[in-house]
Amino acid sequence: MTSSASRYLPFRALGELSETRYWMYLLLLPSLVLILLVIAYPTLYGMAISFREMRLTRPGLDGWVGFKHYAAMWSDPVFWIALKNTVVWVTAAVVLELALGLLTATALNRDLPGTKIFAVLILLPYFLPNVVAGHMWALLLDPRLGVINDILVRVGILQTYKAWFADPNAALAATILVEAWHGFPFFALLLLAGLKSIPEDLYKAAAVDGAGVAAQLRLITLPMLKTVIAAAVILRVISLVNSPDLLLILTGGGPGDATQVLSLYAFQTAYKEFNFGYAAALSVVMFVILMVFAVAYIRISRITKE
Amino acid sequence: MIESKRHRRMIANIATYVVLVSLSVFCIGPMVWMFLTSLKYEADIVTQTMQYMPSRITFDNYVAIWTQSGFPLLIGNSLVVTLLTVTICVVTGTLAAYAFSRFAFRGRDRLMLGYLVVRMFPAVMVIIPLYVVMRGVGLVDSRFGLALAYTSFLLPLFVWMLKGFFDSAPRELENAARIDGSTRLGAMVRIVVPLARNGLVASSVFIAIAAWNEFLFALMLTTGQGSRTWPVGLQLMVGEFQLPWGVLAAGGILSIIPVIVLFAIVQRTMVQGLTAGAVKG
Repeated sequence: MTSSASRYLPFRALGELSETRYWMYLLLLPSLVLILLVIAYPTLYGMAISFREMRLTRPGLDGWVGFKHYAAMWSDPVFWIALKNTVVWVTAAVVLELALGLLTATALNRDLPGTKIFAVLILLPYFLPNVVAGHMWALLLDPRLGVINDILVRVGILQTYKAWFADPNAALAATILVEAWHGFPFFALLLLAGLKSIPEDLYKAAAVDGAGVAAQLRLITLPMLKTVIAAAVILRVISLVNSPDLLLILTGGGPGDATQVLSLYAFQTAYKEFNFGYAAALSVVMFVILMVFAVAYIRISRITKE
Repeated sequence: MIESKRHRRMIANIATYVVLVSLSVFCIGPMVWMFLTSLKYEADIVTQTMQYMPSRITFDNYVAIWTQSGFPLLIGNSLVVTLLTVTICVVTGTLAAYAFSRFAFRGRDRLMLGYLVVRMFPAVMVIIPLYVVMRGVGLVDSRFGLALAYTSFLLPLFVWMLKGFFDSAPRELENAARIDGSTRLGAMVRIVVPLARNGLVASSVFIAIAAWNEFLFALMLTTGQGSRTWPVGLQLMVGEFQLPWGVLAAGGILSIIPVIVLFAIVQRTMVQGLTAGAVKG
């Protein structure tokens, strides 16, 4: 027994406890209790709420209503618009981020002088808060004083300044651009790590066999990156479906319901209308859709691997 | 043959630099523009002809955001919430990460997968019931309550990241200490944790940044000045007072300075920790 640990009784008792076979469970206990308390319990409780009437503004309304909220959702046009927008928004953002991420990772992986500085600059947006990212882009795309409008007019692409977030046809695309800016470094990060794990010898062997750059990309890089791409895509889809932050800041779902997505609709139903029952039902449906997608996606990406 | 190879390599290098420079401009440009805006007079922001470089510089916007709004209070609240979140995660998460990394026991893999799956739960799905539960126990509008809510999605992340760092800390020293009569606890505290020091710092910084930036939980769970964090405060200021662009930009710059500084310091280790899990599969 080392002297410093045995000097204090509580430490010695803990030290002795650490020699028993229950030690690992004791180590896990605090975090497990915390997670059960702040996630598992609220989640189950939330599922229960989705079968109840719960409006904070009208405390008298309370009680079980069965599948009422789910039935209401079926005939709620906003729900279907939000579902469609979620699919478009997530798909477009992920495709754009994956493409930009692949380009970045390939460029960074060549390890030319100065790469480290470029890496820091390019990764930075991912760590910026949504609130700042949102307002920054609102300023850049502002209909009266946005610098991007100014540049586009000068170059001749636009005739006049455009109100990107107020135009129902452009709003969703504009928010996708902002999301891509915010999220693509995540793909760059993971794909770069994936590229670094591909043995150099593979490329040398391919070059000896006369494979060109395109063939190397198709036959070595993409197959070797498959797992990383699959993991990155699923993680990103989950976080995009779940987080309404950026849209809440940029458009609040508008104009009309042009940028309304499921997570935002659920949040606003709770935050603005205090209709917790319906909001809970919306988020349960969202969760189920996400789970089905995740399981199907993992199955499919496994099959193609073999 | 050699000549053309060198030629091709040169073209590839130039193309690489073009890509890297364009992407850097795309990433950093908006931030530079926000910084320039924060230094402009309002009259120079709202003009007929766009001013690319400010013709005159002012720090009024910074003075305005700091003195004329509750901004220092908001920053203070965010600081407290962030520190509480990191403390909770470090204390409970380090123990869990160590257990996952060093012990084989029944249900270990399932439990780890469980820690991963809870990250998939929609924030909205957790927020609504969490609000009801916290209102019941008086934790709405409390900085501790908010920090507790943050651990719901940050603790699993912290455990996974730190486990990776513990895994790569060599076991030999630990074994040697055990042979010398050190208890498991002693070996953990004196050998393993110091070995994984950089990883511990990087993981902590990562969750600190996430807690500092968080918006949605804070919007729902704080209602008063006493616990409101800066993202919520800034957002509400924009809505309520029609915050001038220059002042908003100054607020944005002030609030991302800590993020940029922390990121710059530990970025390499943090990136390593973030990517380890995904690459290993």
